Amino acid sequence: MRIPALLVLAIVYLGLTAAPHAHAGDRGLASAFMCQCGCGLTLASCTHASCGPRDQVLGEIAAMERQGRSPEQITAALVATYGEVILGAPTRRGFNLLAWWGPYGAIAAGAALILGLGLSWVRRPRPVVPAAESDLSPEQRNRLERELRAFQD
Amino acid sequence: MGEIGNLAIGMAFIVSLYGLAAPLLGKALGRQQLVRSGSAAVYANFLLVTIASAALLQALLARDFGNAYVASYTSKDLGFWYTLSAFWAGQAGSLLFWAWLLTGFAVLVVWRQSVYQELMPYVNATLMGTAAFFTMLLTFVTSPFARVPFTPADGSGLNPLLQNPGMFFHPPTQYLGYVGFTIPFAFAIAAMATRRLDDEWIRATRRWTLMAWFFLTWGIIFGMQWAYVELGWGGYWAWDPVENASLMPWLTATAFLHSVMIQEKRDMLKVWNLVLIIFTFALSIFGTFLTRSGVLSSVHSFALSSMGPLFFGFILLSLIVSFVLLFVRLPSLRSAAELDSLVSRESSFLFNNLVLVGAAFSVFLGTVFPLLSEAVRGVKISVGPPFFNQVNVPIGLALLLLMGLCPLLAWRKASSRSLSRNVLLPAGITLIGAALMAALGLTSPIALVAFTLSIFTAASILQDFHRGAMVRRSHGETYPLAFAHLIARNHRRYGGYLVHIGVILLFAGMAGSAFSSEREAVLKKGQSTAMKQYTLRYEGANQYPTKSAQVTAATLTVFNGGDRIAVLNPQRNFHNTHREQPMTEVAIRSTWKEDLYIILAGLGQDGTANFRIIINPLMMWMWVGSVVLSLGTVIAFWPERGEALRNRSRYLVEAP
Repeated sequence: MRIPALLVLAIVYLGLTAAPHAHAGDRGLASAFMCQCGCGLTLASCTHASCGPRDQVLGEIAAMERQGRSPEQITAALVATYGEVILGAPTRRGFNLLAWWGPYGAIAAGAALILGLGLSWVRRPRPVVPAAESDLSPEQRNRLERELRAFQD
Repeated sequence: MGEIGNLAIGMAFIVSLYGLAAPLLGKALGRQQLVRSGSAAVYANFLLVTIASAALLQALLARDFGNAYVASYTSKDLGFWYTLSAFWAGQAGSLLFWAWLLTGFAVLVVWRQSVYQELMPYVNATLMGTAAFFTMLLTFVTSPFARVPFTPADGSGLNPLLQNPGMFFHPPTQYLGYVGFTIPFAFAIAAMATRRLDDEWIRATRRWTLMAWFFLTWGIIFGMQWAYVELGWGGYWAWDPVENASLMPWLTATAFLHSVMIQEKRDMLKVWNLVLIIFTFALSIFGTFLTRSGVLSSVHSFALSSMGPLFFGFILLSLIVSFVLLFVRLPSLRSAAELDSLVSRESSFLFNNLVLVGAAFSVFLGTVFPLLSEAVRGVKISVGPPFFNQVNVPIGLALLLLMGLCPLLAWRKASSRSLSRNVLLPAGITLIGAALMAALGLTSPIALVAFTLSIFTAASILQDFHRGAMVRRSHGETYPLAFAHLIARNHRRYGGYLVHIGVILLFAGMAGSAFSSEREAVLKKGQSTAMKQYTLRYEGANQYPTKSAQVTAATLTVFNGGDRIAVLNPQRNFHNTHREQPMTEVAIRSTWKEDLYIILAGLGQDGTANFRIIINPLMMWMWVGSVVLSLGTVIAFWPERGEALRNRSRYLVEAP
């Protein structure tokens, strides 16, 4: 089980370090900030054909980009204006780490439980039950074994 | 008709209460007549809710604008089908629709599954208890038959966003899924109440669970398709709280569908299966709670009402009753068997369950985290797509990996010899595929991992099909016949594999989204813009009225190289009843390779048109995957010869 576990860890790492992106592809910072009109969606996915709050924030982002500000500076400026509620994802510090790592912690704890219980079951000695008499002829038994080898269910 | 509807709903509430109490009292007092009258109450309840539903339908179709619900959701210019869909477009109507489905399912259960005599009184009581909650809401909190003081000349009309064929199918299928899970939940409660804790309740409800899962899957897919064609932002899943609320029971139900196989085959995971179906039921109600409580903002929210606490109370009550019963029955729920090996199919199912429930937990945590943050830190935060994508993509990929490993593992114990023999071919194909993708320039790590795992999973499933067919061929059948017989002899297994292939296609479509590209273009008539291999020429715009809207349609001719391949007409419409809210109608050209998705963002005073042009690769694979998934579910659902007889005779033999 070590290789799958390592692979899963690698995937988790890739997922957490990947740049944020919305389903509709790279929409720049519009995908990273929430629209403030109450739709509960990002600036890139706000469903309103005309949306004042969305256009205002997009305008602010565009203006800051023209000034040559970095994404981090733009993020800081928007958080200063609107609060953390503008961020599409919680910051990775303090209490918010519960959201980021809680699911992985729960999955890891569950995996440890399965492995622990599983190992204790597997290692427990079992009573040997004598096999029942078979009605199969030697020819039938050979055929059965041959087919089972070919197709292990 | 409104009075009849109100009366029917009020009576349905009383009959539901009777249907809840009579079987329980009958069992407690040993009076079979009382128990039987509980079954009669199920039929009566369905009849009453049907009368109320018919009354609402009549009011909708007759455009009775004196009815507040009709005035809010229809108008004179609304077509027949959308008028019909107004039944579930609003709060009161959707609750009535829910109650109608629930009582209808209850009738089917009483009619078809009365053979489970010991379980039925408790099944009926659970179903009628749930029906009592919904009819109570309709009676005391929100009536679809409330009247307005003055009858308006016309109604407010249906929200234009809901005037899409997808919305005609999305809510009903979604509700069929949610309501369907009440049946296995009711049988689980009955199994605990009667101490009949073997796999009887699972066998009795396998098809109900599969049916509910099928409809919830389609509810989600219809919702995605609606979002894609109607909302006009180029995507299909925005991790909206209510979208999440539909995904959570889907995930736990998927885990349940897998883990019940372990109980059936090995008599293991009895407690786990009960926990899963309890949570699936509670999460189904949770989605309804979210849309009606206003605790989280969502594009799906109905008007704020006092229903939130009632729904919360009902969920809490269901959980308390279920878990108290479970706790009391714990001594009887010990598994008869244990894992023989950690490298086995049972073990892969356990890990698959873990990942599915982990995914449900991550979606739940993300959905409610704004509330937690505000309660703990006093700070309002948002949890949107950037968070959900980053946290759930790795979980989804782990699930894909497990889907690929499962067919390679034998039940009980997979020897290293058989495992290496089984892995060899899929692993080889996967390596070649990954190398090819890398050589072709696929550099996105997530997409590369997703496509590689998709190849591995598809290869391992197809290998299993092939081996099964080859064994049958060795008995003289031709390969196609052997293949068909293989599926016919084991619907559940091979239907399930087909579902997995559908899921792989869905994953591939989703992975394609990582390569979406977008640009904006402001064009004058006759001007062109290029994007990737496409050149789009703006031919001009037309404005014309329809029965319900003022339409502005732009015409774009699309060229690929020098070839004219399509003429597309993205629109921007002002509906007569919702003039303040212009609606975009996107134009899409779909191919196997990609979707060309065009939004008319606006028209300038100077005659220019503003377009958003998006190229979404592999979108069609998602919809094809959905169809394959459905086909697999239907095959898994289809009864095998003699199966029903076997189950019933088994029950009758075992019944005291």
